[in-house]
Amino acid sequence: MTFPILPAHELGLVVAVLIGFAFGFVLERAGFGRAPKLAAQFYGTDMTVFKVMFGAIVTAMLGLVLASTLGLTSFKTVADHAASATFLLPMVAGGFLLGAGFIMSGYCPGTSFVAMASGKLDGLYTVLGVIVGQVAWAELEWRPGFAAFHNAGNLGNYYLWELFHLPAQAGPVIVALAVTVMAVGCFLGAEKLEKVLAGRADPVARATPAGRPGRLVFAGFAAVVLVGLAGLAIPTGSQARTREAASIGQVDLARRVFDQPWKVRVIDLRSVEACAAKRIPGSECVPAEKLGTLGLADADPSRDLVLVATEDLRELPAAAAAYPGRVYALQGGWKGWEAFALAAPSPPAPGAPAPEIDQYRLRAGIRAAMTGMKAAPPPPMPTAAPAGPRKAGGGCSG
Amino acid sequence: MERTPLPITPALPTAPVEPSRSLLPAPGREDRGQESYAGARVADPNKFWNPYLAGVALGLVLLTSFLVMGNGLGASGASLRAGIAALDVIAPGHVAKTAPLARAAESEHVAWLVFEILGVLLGGFVAAYTSGRLKKEILKGPRIGNGARLALALSGGVLMGIAAKMTRGCTSGQALSGGALLSVGSWAFMFSVFGGGYALAWFMRREWR
Repeated sequence: MTFPILPAHELGLVVAVLIGFAFGFVLERAGFGRAPKLAAQFYGTDMTVFKVMFGAIVTAMLGLVLASTLGLTSFKTVADHAASATFLLPMVAGGFLLGAGFIMSGYCPGTSFVAMASGKLDGLYTVLGVIVGQVAWAELEWRPGFAAFHNAGNLGNYYLWELFHLPAQAGPVIVALAVTVMAVGCFLGAEKLEKVLAGRADPVARATPAGRPGRLVFAGFAAVVLVGLAGLAIPTGSQARTREAASIGQVDLARRVFDQPWKVRVIDLRSVEACAAKRIPGSECVPAEKLGTLGLADADPSRDLVLVATEDLRELPAAAAAYPGRVYALQGGWKGWEAFALAAPSPPAPGAPAPEIDQYRLRAGIRAAMTGMKAAPPPPMPTAAPAGPRKAGGGCSG
Repeated sequence: MERTPLPITPALPTAPVEPSRSLLPAPGREDRGQESYAGARVADPNKFWNPYLAGVALGLVLLTSFLVMGNGLGASGASLRAGIAALDVIAPGHVAKTAPLARAAESEHVAWLVFEILGVLLGGFVAAYTSGRLKKEILKGPRIGNGARLALALSGGVLMGIAAKMTRGCTSGQALSGGALLSVGSWAFMFSVFGGGYALAWFMRREWR
C-alpha cells in the first residue's frame, strides 16, 4: 500500500498550504465566492453548487476506488483515517441548521473564506459569525444536558456499504458505482430544471449548461465506473482466495487483544473441553460445527473476527465467510499461539542485536500477561547507554 | 452586470481587504458603479468555469489531499482556531479550562486546517484577482439594503458556526470529504443541509431575488 503518504508535520503544513491554494482557487473559479450564485441553488435557477459538489464527490470517490483497484491504497484505510465518526442526531439537526445559515448568509464556512479573500464584505461578516458560533457551541457542548445531545447516536466510523450489509471488500466499489449513476442522473435532472427556470434566473447567477465539457466529464465517470466494474469482476476469484488465506500473526493478535479488545471478536473453533482448559483471553468457545448457530452473516461488522483452530485454518467455514466485517484466521492456530505466547521465550545471548532483545521483551511481556509468570530479564546490552539495561524488567509486569 | 458596485458606508470595517484595493487594475479603481466597468476588464467577472469541470478539479484536489495527507478538506476547524486565538487575548486561561477548546488548540488536525485555510485565502485571492472579481463590495439581491444583508450574513454565520461544531465539520469537511468516503453521517448531514436551505429559501427570497 503506497497511500496515504502522511508526510512529517512541518512538510505536511507546507503541503496543506498548497492543497488549500488549489482548493480556494477552484472554489473561486467555480463561482463559490459569490453569495447570489450560491443562493441560487435554493431557487433552482442555478444548480452550480450541486453540480460542483457532487462532481467533486464522485471524482474523489472514484479516484479512491481506482487507487484501491490498482492496489495503491485501500478505500477503508483512507476512510478510517480521514472521515469523522457518525453522530446521527447532531449531524441531522446540525445539517438543517447549517442549511438555514447557508441561505441566510449565502455562504458555507469554506466559501465564506474565499468570498472574504476576494473582497466581499458579506463574506467577512459570515467568517466572523462562524467563528462566534463555533466558540459558542464549544462552550456549551460539554455541559450537562448539551453533552447528551452532542454525543447522541454515536455509531463510530460507519459507512454506506456497512449500512447496506455489503461485503467489506466489494462494498465500497458497489456503493461508489451506485452513487455515480445516481449523481449523473441528478446532473441531467438539474440541467432540465435550469432550462425550465431559465427565464427567472438573475444575471449574476446564470446557470452554465453542461455543454461539451460536461458530456466529457460524464464519459470520464462512465469510463472509471467500467474500470471499477472490471476490477470487481476480475479479482472476485482472488478475493475469495485471499478471504480464505487472510491470516493474522500472533504478535498482531496479542496487541489487539490487549490494546483494543472491543475491536476484535475471537472465536475458538476447537472442542469445548480444549477451549475451556486454555484459550486466548476474551475468546468465545464455539466448535467449528456449531459456527452456523452464531448468525455471523447478520452480526455487527464493526469488530474484526479472528478464528482460532487447532492448526492453520485452511478454509474459512461458510458461516464465517458470510460475516460482513473482516475475518482473520490466526496464523498457526492454537498450537502456534501456545508456542508463541504461553511458552517461555529463551533469553537472547549477551550482546545480541537490539531488535532481538526488543523482540524478547515483547514476547516475555505477552507471556507474563497471559500466564501471570515473569520471565528472566534480558541480558545487559554492552553497547547501550548505562541506563538502558537497568530498565529491562519483564515487559508489562516490570 | 454588477449589481452592487461599491456603495459602502464609511462605517463598515475594511481592514482585512484593504491591501487588495491597490492591486486592482486601473479601470476597477475608478468605477463607482456603472455597468461600463465590467466590460472594461480583460476578464469577464461573470464568467465561471464549467461546473462539471470545476467539480472534477475540486475532486482531484480532494483526492490529492486524501492520498497525500490522509485528510479531507475542511474549513470550520480553522474558524474555531481563530476564535481560540481571540479568546486567548480576551480571557487568558479560559481556553485551558474548556475541554473542547483546549482539545482543538492542541489538535494536529486543526493545525492542518489552519494552514489549509491560509492556502484557501491565497488561492481565492489569486483566482479573484486574475478573473476580475477582486473587488470590495457587498453581494446581495436588488431588494435588500447593505445593513440588513450584513446582519443576515453575520447571523447566518453564527448559525453555521454552531452547526459545524455540532456536526464535527462543515460542508467542506463533512459533506464533501465525508461524502466522498461514503460515511453514513456525512450523507445524512448533506441531505439535511439541502433540506434546511430549501426549507428557508422562501422566507429569504427578499435577500436574493
